[in-house]
Amino acid sequence: MSAAPQPAPLLEARELARHYAVSQGLFGPKAQVKALDGVSFTLAAGRTLAVVGESGCGKSTLARQLTLVEAPTRGALSIRGQATAGADKARVAALRRDVQMVFQNPFASLNPRWTIARTLEEPLAINRPQLARAERRERVAALLDRVGLRREHLARYPHMFSGGQRQRIAIARAMILEPGIVVADEPTSALDVSVQAQILNLFMDLQQAFGTGYVFISHNLGVVEHVADELMVMYLGRAVEVGAKTRIFAQPLHPYTQALMSATPALRAADRRARIRIEGELPSPLNPPSGCAFHKRCPRATAHCAAELPELRELDGRRIACHNV
Amino acid sequence: MSAGTALVDIRGLTVDFGSLRAVDGVDLRLEAGERLGIVGESGSGKSVTMLALMQLVGAPGVVRADKLEFLGRDLLELSARERRAVIGRDMAMVFQDALSALNPSYTVGAQIAEVLREHLGLRGAAARARVLELLELVEIPDAKRRADAYPHQLSGGMNQRVMIAMAIACSPRLLIADEPTTALDVTIQAQIMALLLRLSTEQGMGLVMITHDLAVVAELTQRVAVMYAGQLVEEGAVPALFDAPRHPYTEALLAAIPEHNRGAARLQALPGIVPGAHDRPAGCLLAPRCAYAVERCRAERPPLAAGVRCFLPRGEPKP
Repeated sequence: MSAAPQPAPLLEARELARHYAVSQGLFGPKAQVKALDGVSFTLAAGRTLAVVGESGCGKSTLARQLTLVEAPTRGALSIRGQATAGADKARVAALRRDVQMVFQNPFASLNPRWTIARTLEEPLAINRPQLARAERRERVAALLDRVGLRREHLARYPHMFSGGQRQRIAIARAMILEPGIVVADEPTSALDVSVQAQILNLFMDLQQAFGTGYVFISHNLGVVEHVADELMVMYLGRAVEVGAKTRIFAQPLHPYTQALMSATPALRAADRRARIRIEGELPSPLNPPSGCAFHKRCPRATAHCAAELPELRELDGRRIACHNV
Repeated sequence: MSAGTALVDIRGLTVDFGSLRAVDGVDLRLEAGERLGIVGESGSGKSVTMLALMQLVGAPGVVRADKLEFLGRDLLELSARERRAVIGRDMAMVFQDALSALNPSYTVGAQIAEVLREHLGLRGAAARARVLELLELVEIPDAKRRADAYPHQLSGGMNQRVMIAMAIACSPRLLIADEPTTALDVTIQAQIMALLLRLSTEQGMGLVMITHDLAVVAELTQRVAVMYAGQLVEEGAVPALFDAPRHPYTEALLAAIPEHNRGAARLQALPGIVPGAHDRPAGCLLAPRCAYAVERCRAERPPLAAGVRCFLPRGEPKP
């Protein structure tokens, strides 16, 4: 007999890709944007994968694949070992319940015409029809407690809350179905720093209580260093460095990771890394550079980088896509 | 200019919007060529303070001040015509969202040329030459082509550079930058910060950096003013103020930053939010959120003394 089968990871993405056809004017041919171009990772329960990168790196496209809003162009996604590809409608609906999302802007992500009670009860009314109304209310009230809001808030509308409170409501809405996975897309970047700290604490508390796996998308490396277990640095649709947070922060190896870390301003002079000056703008995903997408801005680029796309390979306890490391 | 004349000298600045006191008795002085950071959460009055200096607070806002001087001239005394000659020429401002600050119907070159025409009377080929020079100064590659582009054809970082080019078109003595890098990616933010620092040091231009990002202030400025609910609560040199904050609010802001809590499971969060128009406490404005507040803090408003507005300042006074 072989060894006992390994339990399937909570979330597994293999070579996930999403390409979009983009119109180039009325008569031009459609162009193809490879917004996400082959990303692989696994996420375990109670862990946090942070996805870092700048505009156009594909982090929000990744979120749309993970939440099953779109079907990937290529690659496979499985949730608790169940493949999402080819699943029928009922199965997809069941899988979607298990992956919830928290958005960046709590001023846009809550329905302004709905009371908080209605916003939080709706997921239960749809997905747990067996619950009686009183039971539903009870669950909502209990969760509201957990996210630091009071029961009298239930009858209020979103405009009566501050940004931080609204983000708490958005988090409660994501958690009400007790999902295995929460995808959070820049959940604190619209908030003030003191409120950001409150919300990050809330994310950590809820993870500890429910064992939720988080995919945490952010451009703020300070936040990422605080919340992440695993880190994935993306550039123009591809992962360039993936591994344990502690390892990558201790010694970033990919030139882009190094550039990102050195570009982040630091409060204390001792924390400032020697600034690696990165020239130029982020390339357009419509017209990506040949070879390694970073080579035009990379201080270490060689002719090889312009010619051949580097694949992710194992190095020093992480995966990295660079010819010159 | 005499040694005594400051670039900016503000005393007792107050801005009211109806019943909301957005700025509450702010004193601020800036020497020529100095770089000052103004930090605070949303609603702390940091932007309104600078808009008042630029004379850009419109109705229903009411600006009052004991003194609002720029290069020794009282801005409140100026006629509208005199004011227009100063604003945009000697004192200019860069905003957070460059795309919405620029006019979508004109090329960026035309918009920069307008500033040159208004303030310096430059026209035609002379204006065009100066536009290209400015675009090169803010490190826009291929300036000739970019001058004829519309804002929507440029990236966020490029538009921000265009705004900076416009602001520095007349070599101002003071540049006010209101969250100029908040909407930008970090590698682009680093480029813009380096650009502002270079312009300030090369041209001896005073810089006021309004931001909520303390780290940006730490890297770019020499002095920082911390605002809370319309009041200046602490002021001091960088990095001394960050190393040893004296006001509990400054301390709390610093403690909330993840990089200050490395290895900690929880961040130290300041509870609650900035009070609005109708829930301002009678005593110290921070008292309801402050961990150190005592009875006196709830009853009386502390004055700004030795750079800190607190009855119970933390740590030792700075030399």
